[in-house]
Amino acid sequence: MNTNDEQNPLDQATAARLHRLSTMPVDTSALERTLRAAISPPSKRSMWRAWPARAIAASLLIASLVLAVMLTASSGSVLASPAQMAQMHEDLVSGRLPSMQADSVEAANKMLAAQSPASPQVPSLPPEHVMACCMQSVKNKKVACVLLKEGMEGIPVSMMVANASDMRLPVAPTRTFNGETYYVQSSGLLNMVMMKREGRWVCLIGQVAVERMMELAGKLRF
Amino acid sequence: MSTDIRTARFQAVAWPHLATVVRAARILCGNAAEAEDLAQETMIKAYRGIDGFADGTDIKAWLLTILRRTRIDRVRATSNTAGQVSIEASGIDPPEPDKWQTDDEAWRENPQAILNSFSDQQVIDALQKLPEDIRLTLLLVDVEQLDHREAATILDVPVGTIKSRTHRGRAMLRQALLPLARDLRFIRDDPNRREG
Repeated sequence: MNTNDEQNPLDQATAARLHRLSTMPVDTSALERTLRAAISPPSKRSMWRAWPARAIAASLLIASLVLAVMLTASSGSVLASPAQMAQMHEDLVSGRLPSMQADSVEAANKMLAAQSPASPQVPSLPPEHVMACCMQSVKNKKVACVLLKEGMEGIPVSMMVANASDMRLPVAPTRTFNGETYYVQSSGLLNMVMMKREGRWVCLIGQVAVERMMELAGKLRF
Repeated sequence: MSTDIRTARFQAVAWPHLATVVRAARILCGNAAEAEDLAQETMIKAYRGIDGFADGTDIKAWLLTILRRTRIDRVRATSNTAGQVSIEASGIDPPEPDKWQTDDEAWRENPQAILNSFSDQQVIDALQKLPEDIRLTLLLVDVEQLDHREAATILDVPVGTIKSRTHRGRAMLRQALLPLARDLRFIRDDPNRREG
């Protein structure tokens, strides 16, 4: 048995996959609140006064970066990072992203068109999947977001739709399902499948196996 | 050290690693609720013990040491009440070389692509099937990329043990993922293997 990592591609691959867990997004907000309450007596709130300052500084930095990205990517097709898409999904699921309740894709398309006439047309899907929708901007490109529920468990899946000319597909592994090719990525616990069909770029995101996402994507009618 | 100074030091030194502790707890425990409890207990212990942290040493390794001890205490408490196996008793026999060799053959085609096809949760679920000491070793060496000596210090075992656990653990993880890889068609079934 070879125990030298440098000479064992299987071990190297396993180590690399494990290392990817170090970038898995985790929600620390509840823990932060609990910790603050546990270690900071109410009368000593001022001890944490440095925290808001750092948060403000971080927010300003992020805002500057977002602005810079928007300015440089205002024309041509853009590429959304997995982390960016994952964040949008999490914001949509958690309610941090304001959305409108919708009980069908048709209703979602009407609401999105009322909000933004240039809204990309969301492909049809059986109504039992559809929960809510909203319009978002990724690097200055309009992206229609529809929150879906998948399977008996009702696992939330976000469907992002943009005009195909606005968004690029990632350099990522592809999978073929029922004759259709999908680009597959993941971010933390979330899987993403992306495709371009009929002039539209579509990305499905959720904590669902890639196969189930491709099956869901197969139900889309453009 | 006054409470104000301790809090400020904790905030400056340990707080930025909160996500690392939560993530490590999630990998160790497998489920989010238990992981959050473990991370919370770890960080509160870190706060109380921040006076003992020596400047210039690795804060991440220090926090992971506390995490590991806290985890041991929690597992012991659970095993006392539920009759579970303790961490010390969770050592495993060396794998049978032929068995691992045969199963590893399935991965040879494109191991990185196959392994990357699994979601993080699927990998974490597979890690739960490994003994605790192996899981801890993989967490330190592969996930957090501590060097073998640091991992040996945290786990209080010789460096050689870390090396062998790491190699064995990776093989065990692949073994744990293999049925799922076959179910999801990430790798093809070997007909000879089934017949055999």
